Amino acid sequence: MSTINRKLLPMVLLLAFPTILCAQDLKLPPGVEKLAAKAKETVEVNMDGPMLQWASKFLSSEDPEEKKAAKLVANLKGIYVRSFEFSEEGAYSAPDVEAFRAQFRSPEWSRVVGVRSEHDGDNVDVFFKLENEKMAGIVIIAAEPKELTFVNIVGPLEVDQLADLGGEFGIPKLKTKPPSSKPVAKADKGEQK
Amino acid sequence: MTETNKDPNLIEDALRNALCRDDAPEGFAVRVLARAEQENSSAHKAQRASWLSIFSQPLVRWVAFATVSICLVIGGVHYRKLQRQRAEGEAAKAQLMLALRIAGSKLQLAKSKVNEINQSSPEPQPQNKSPRSRS
Repeated sequence: MSTINRKLLPMVLLLAFPTILCAQDLKLPPGVEKLAAKAKETVEVNMDGPMLQWASKFLSSEDPEEKKAAKLVANLKGIYVRSFEFSEEGAYSAPDVEAFRAQFRSPEWSRVVGVRSEHDGDNVDVFFKLENEKMAGIVIIAAEPKELTFVNIVGPLEVDQLADLGGEFGIPKLKTKPPSSKPVAKADKGEQK
Repeated sequence: MTETNKDPNLIEDALRNALCRDDAPEGFAVRVLARAEQENSSAHKAQRASWLSIFSQPLVRWVAFATVSICLVIGGVHYRKLQRQRAEGEAAKAQLMLALRIAGSKLQLAKSKVNEINQSSPEPQPQNKSPRSRS
């Protein structure tokens, strides 16, 4: 019996490893962390579940913005953000970003938005993680000429909460250009890579 | 025998003189009241002194001093801990709001780009004049 266990153990570990890996935070490519040295401004936020719950205790229920934020993070397991702002263009390379994107080419991740804009150089990818037809996480990779941002939100998110996330928090809603301005972006909905 | 014993009238006179009504000396009532008040206050003092007398012992004094000092130190440490926790909580809240703002703005960016495409999709795009290529 013990011999079987000894034989099975490596197999079990081997099978369990991807699951363990998925449960952990998504790793940024090593090169991306080095970008902090080049960046004019760096934002790094690492908040796991307990930290989120603790921080949400300090959110005021009287402030409408903070009230929405408290509702939003109530069931989240983590928020991880890396944002680099550079003084010049070309501070990061496309492979740096591609290495990060590659992590989401798995069946559990769905690429719902992929924008490649040669006009203004804004490239945005949004990946959803679905579990039992429910959203279990979202990853946003925004590669702009002078800014590179990775956002990883782990946990169940409602679609309406996501919409709130987009239009709230003091960020003015971006106005869409009129159709005559010639679109230069490409969006992939539901694409799996 | 004295003269009074001999003469009963003399005894009577002597008694009458001794027991006759005499006015109190001047200031007697004031002195009595002052004395009574003094005695009353001294009784209070004695009572207070008996309660505070436990601190007359050096050991008790030191124990009391140490207890008060420990209470003050514990209170101060607890207060500082609460202050620190509050500051850390506020910092965590600020981080959380920053993360949500960044996530929100990037989602908004993606949304606006998608909207751009949706609005422009009905227009046919000639292949030789692709708007995606920079000229």
